[in-house]
Amino acid sequence: MADATASLRKKLWNPEARLAYVLLAPTAVFLIAFMFYPIVYVFVMSFFRTNKLSDLVRFVGLANFIDRFHDQEFWWAALRSLIWTSSGVAVKFLAGMVIAVLLNVRYRGRKAARMAFIIPWASSVPISALLWQWVYHPEFGLLNHTLQVSGLWANPPGWLGAPLSAFIACMWVDIWIGIPFFALVFLAGMQSIPQELYESAHMDGAGPIRSFFSITIPGIRELIQISTLLSAIWTFNDFNVIYILTRAGPANSTNILITSVYMNAFVDLRFDWAAVQSVVTFLILTIVSVIYARFYFRQENN
Amino acid sequence: MKWQNRARWLAIPLTIVILFILLFPFFVMISTMLKSGPDTYATPPIWIPTHIEWSNFVTVWTQYDLASYFLASLIIAMGATVLNTLICVPAAYAIARLRFVGRKVAMYLLLMIEMFSPVIVIISLFKVVARFGMLDSYAALIILDALFTVAFNTWMMNGYFKTIPKDIEEAALIDGCTRVQTMTRIMLPIAVPGLVTVMIYAFIFAWNEFLFALTFISSKAKMPLTIALYNFVGRWTTQWQFLTMAAFLALIPVLVLFYIIEKRLVAGLAGGAVKG
Repeated sequence: MADATASLRKKLWNPEARLAYVLLAPTAVFLIAFMFYPIVYVFVMSFFRTNKLSDLVRFVGLANFIDRFHDQEFWWAALRSLIWTSSGVAVKFLAGMVIAVLLNVRYRGRKAARMAFIIPWASSVPISALLWQWVYHPEFGLLNHTLQVSGLWANPPGWLGAPLSAFIACMWVDIWIGIPFFALVFLAGMQSIPQELYESAHMDGAGPIRSFFSITIPGIRELIQISTLLSAIWTFNDFNVIYILTRAGPANSTNILITSVYMNAFVDLRFDWAAVQSVVTFLILTIVSVIYARFYFRQENN
Repeated sequence: MKWQNRARWLAIPLTIVILFILLFPFFVMISTMLKSGPDTYATPPIWIPTHIEWSNFVTVWTQYDLASYFLASLIIAMGATVLNTLICVPAAYAIARLRFVGRKVAMYLLLMIEMFSPVIVIISLFKVVARFGMLDSYAALIILDALFTVAFNTWMMNGYFKTIPKDIEEAALIDGCTRVQTMTRIMLPIAVPGLVTVMIYAFIFAWNEFLFALTFISSKAKMPLTIALYNFVGRWTTQWQFLTMAAFLALIPVLVLFYIIEKRLVAGLAGGAVKG
């Protein structure tokens, strides 16, 4: 018994481990104060009624959750989050794949094209969102003007002014930011596939489409999984684009789960509702990030 | 291969079309930032200004206090970079090189934290920041901005440390260096590319950060660029020719920095499947 505790002590408290704890201590302290404690506090808050200053007033059990789940707007926000994330990731994925294929063709100026494709990702998200606000401007914006003059769309909507078009316009900006990530990751993957595979496939009479599906896609399968998960999390979490473009309006039409946390708290001053939204969002994110972590570790171990 | 040749004739025009769509807002920015007021608000809108209004460049610095916002952004981003590096590098070294109980858990936690949106803790962060008396202070933004890149940066540095052969370090240990000395004198110099990546990433994150600045900064003197430009639009008469000029200037530093780390960033995000 004494031996067992001694060896356990040695395992936990030897010079090497001690150094490790010292080196990790600053990170741990900051994370506990500004991340773990706040998460715990959000959980606590979700069981309390709060006042307009976000102080806890009294314990109400699950009442806040029941409140939120009976509110139609909660389910609308959840549905919007689902549409926002799934279609957003799908479009980013497809566009990224097309661009990666295009960049994988050898021609002069390919490097410059690659650099140009990165710009939407490299750019600052808040600033990009502001620029898009000007682009979408119903009266003076160059988007509608260009669509009309070029004959592509004679009567385009006022974008951010009406519910459906605002949702699509916000989604497009989020998609636009996320495309280069997929393109670059897929391109990097494609370039690591040995050229001989394509050559022998060609000898066997396989065309470009056939070799894309039987060599390229399997060759970057792991990258596809990990980048899709990552992009799904980012897309789901995109607060900045919506807040800057529409502040979740008009008439809540662009309010998704992540924005409703902020709107509940700092616009409605219902911090208890915001806490419930945070808890729900936290749980969803945790599930997805556990999946991501598993993929990542499996890949690292290979 | 023959189809490679044909592919080129398809790829180049398609690339140009897609680039035109993707770079559209930046074309608009460039078109607007040197326009005069009447040109900016012409109906129908025009792409090419009737004359180039160079004075816009001066106006944003003189009338709109751009220098003050730049300075605030710079202080916050540099502070966050320093703090972030100071806490990430030791943590990454510990995870990469030392054996201790809880190492796996620490790695798992870091990877998960990376996924969290600051929005879900913003209401309680507000309380924490208020309790520390850090509302409307640079300190709040520096700490929070540094913190929300800790996971990713520790992860990246850990990757760099792991690529350094253990023999080098062991030789130094035998020669009588302490652990801390091997870290600062041997590991860090080799891991400089990683260190640069991590620092630039922290800087870019802080420079672009919006939510914390929106929530915690109220005085104009401490406003970073992102919030300053956002508030600029909020007003009833937005002068978009000045705003696009300011946006252009605010974008230059991050674009330059992003290109430096872009390849390593992709490799870091995608894990072992891409080599940096």
